[in-house]
Amino acid sequence: MKECIAMLLAGGQGSRLYALTQRLAKPAVPFGGKYRIIDFPLSNCVNSGIDTVGILTQYQPLVLNEYIGNGQPWDLDRLYGGVHVLPPYQKASGSDWYKGTANAIYQNINFIERYQPGYVVILSGDHIYKMDYSKMLDFHKAKGADCTIAVMEVPWEEASRFGIMTANEEGIITNFAEKPKQPESNLASMGIYIFTWEKLRKFLTEDEADPSSDNDFGKNIIPNMLKGGEKMVAYPFEGYWKDVGTIDSLWEANMDLLNPNVPLDVWDDAWKIYSRNSGMPGHHISAAAEIDNSMITEGCRVDGKITQSVLFAGVTVGEGAVVEDSILMPGATVEPGASVKYSIIAENVRVSAGAVVGERPEEMDDLDKWGVAVVGEGITIGKNAKVGPKAMVVKDVKEGEEQW
Amino acid sequence: MVNTNTSALGIIFPNSYDDLVPEMVTERTMASIPFGGRYRMVDFMLSSMANCGIDNVTIVVKRNYHSLMDHLGSGREWDLTRKRGGLNMVPPYAEAGVKMYAGRIEALASVVDYLEDQREKYVVMCDANIAVNFDFNALIEAHVKSGADVTMVYQRSEIPEGAKGDNYTIKVRDGRVTELLSNDFRPGVQNLSMNIYVMEREALIQMVRDASVRGLVYFERDLLARNLELLHVQGFEHTGYVARISDRRTYFEENMRLLDPANLDALFGQGGPIYTKVRDDAPTRYAMDCKVKNAMVADGCIIEGEVENSVLFRGVRIKKGAKVKNCVLMQDTVVEADAEVEYVVTDKNVEITAGKKLSGTDTFPVYVKKGHTV
Repeated sequence: MKECIAMLLAGGQGSRLYALTQRLAKPAVPFGGKYRIIDFPLSNCVNSGIDTVGILTQYQPLVLNEYIGNGQPWDLDRLYGGVHVLPPYQKASGSDWYKGTANAIYQNINFIERYQPGYVVILSGDHIYKMDYSKMLDFHKAKGADCTIAVMEVPWEEASRFGIMTANEEGIITNFAEKPKQPESNLASMGIYIFTWEKLRKFLTEDEADPSSDNDFGKNIIPNMLKGGEKMVAYPFEGYWKDVGTIDSLWEANMDLLNPNVPLDVWDDAWKIYSRNSGMPGHHISAAAEIDNSMITEGCRVDGKITQSVLFAGVTVGEGAVVEDSILMPGATVEPGASVKYSIIAENVRVSAGAVVGERPEEMDDLDKWGVAVVGEGITIGKNAKVGPKAMVVKDVKEGEEQW
Repeated sequence: MVNTNTSALGIIFPNSYDDLVPEMVTERTMASIPFGGRYRMVDFMLSSMANCGIDNVTIVVKRNYHSLMDHLGSGREWDLTRKRGGLNMVPPYAEAGVKMYAGRIEALASVVDYLEDQREKYVVMCDANIAVNFDFNALIEAHVKSGADVTMVYQRSEIPEGAKGDNYTIKVRDGRVTELLSNDFRPGVQNLSMNIYVMEREALIQMVRDASVRGLVYFERDLLARNLELLHVQGFEHTGYVARISDRRTYFEENMRLLDPANLDALFGQGGPIYTKVRDDAPTRYAMDCKVKNAMVADGCIIEGEVENSVLFRGVRIKKGAKVKNCVLMQDTVVEADAEVEYVVTDKNVEITAGKKLSGTDTFPVYVKKGHTV
């Protein structure tokens, strides 16, 4: 028996990350120099004492499956519990893809019941934050709640992009509106829920019986529980939290690691973020290199100029190359004399000598045309080729050609 | 049965050559000395074995092995957590009447019963004072082909100053070892033994049993050197990259040699990966206005000051205004604000307090003991 287990929703395609999620699910997207996004919720689980995690996968699961493996890097290789990857499967009564977030959990009721948990934490695989779920669980129990939703205050002008909770002084949720045009509160749902399992099972079963339902937590389960008069409380969270579902937010969250004023600290030994290790030797900074305000990890070879950038394992930056405000994912190569600015360069990309990727916003006449340039996995940018700002590159760019 | 693994078991002697670096092994073995930014010396031999399919490895420890046990754990990082074979640590029995072993034969005598129970045809043995990405399969192949009783590995090298009183050199004719010298001190390039051996397991058991009853202690001096006519001992030259620790100075120099990317490639780029205990450090953070030139840096460091020609192990902190030049700073060393260090080797968890200046010379680097505050 387990007091509390976690179910991690990792099936989303992440279509807004387009070039980065052609071959992998969003939670497997590399983040912060040596992590993948899913390392954050997984590490939060183990740091909070949750040793049983079900990961619900559906879209392009190969990379994610291999990455999770037996869960050992997160200390989730357990005799009883541990991490389990849960794709949809065929049942005696037929088979179905996961129709929505609630349906994904519904289809795995049997998995959850194996552990007879008192509580279930529902998490997303696309958020960057550090949070102690055990404190949230204490709060849930102290309030005698059926459902606790983690919320944080967002700027009022951004409130209409979130699921917005209205809560009274005791924190009891009185209203919930998904992306309201006229928000009546600025408490945004962080997509982190703790349910008393008995209650959640009841509502999941009822939801499944309703053919008109979208089988979604935000759209169906939460409103239905509210309507049903269940005790739902808002758990206020202070600290860093970011949904990295878009190119801009993914880029920003990486840059936040370089900003000492942003409270996202991955160097804190008390709350480590675990990941599968590259196993490469230390990185080398040559005498010709210049490094300023950047993060660099194992296996990198730097001969060029790196400013305000995040380099993942095994990245090579040649002499005279310039990398500014960019993210270079594992195995990327920037050849001598190339320039990479305001870009996300995916795994094993080669930016050939003299090529130019991305542009600084200050250099642009028309700021509307500016954005972070993205080069997808395994692409080669030919010699002296040019990739414009805001470009999404999914095919090789030949020598001397331009892509916008 | 499908033969997936090399039919050889490995034996590593982690305490060999402890005496060459006495101040670094007060609380550890030669095998657990940190090296190359994120490794311990034993990682190189252990990974080489694992990469060659040798998945039954015995470590015959002698003393000060806490740090080594902590480092190796169950052997998982080297993929040596196995039901059959895997990593096996053999400490000495602490009993009256059982004396601590001095030479390799005595050490092997303590595991000879264990060796009898194993199934592998061959045994490879080595020490942990050299960092090398070694191909054991090539060695075993050459051994089998030559039909020798024992094959030993050597490199063409000058005898390091620190090792002049503790080394073996060999004379080789047509591949066969004709003479084995102890504590050679001749100048110039010699055939310097790397103390890596391969032989049949049954033959080793027999040799050790015979040698024990005769009261022999040293495998090389007492057994091989005296019997070169009876035993067919073959020499196997290793031409790849070797970092050998033979005193404090070579420890410093061998770390510094890894600042050349060609050497990094030679040690890590060829052969399989070198595994080590994972610490889950974050990437290294280069703060605004830091200055870093020619450095090899492991993960988890935060660099705010200046670093030049240095090797930084995991979790090192260089505070604002601090200057680090020609240094080897082991894990979790902290150099506080405005401190200046040059030609310094700091052991684990050393703190150089604010504003302090500390410097050695290229031939005599200052060494700061584990956990010390300067």
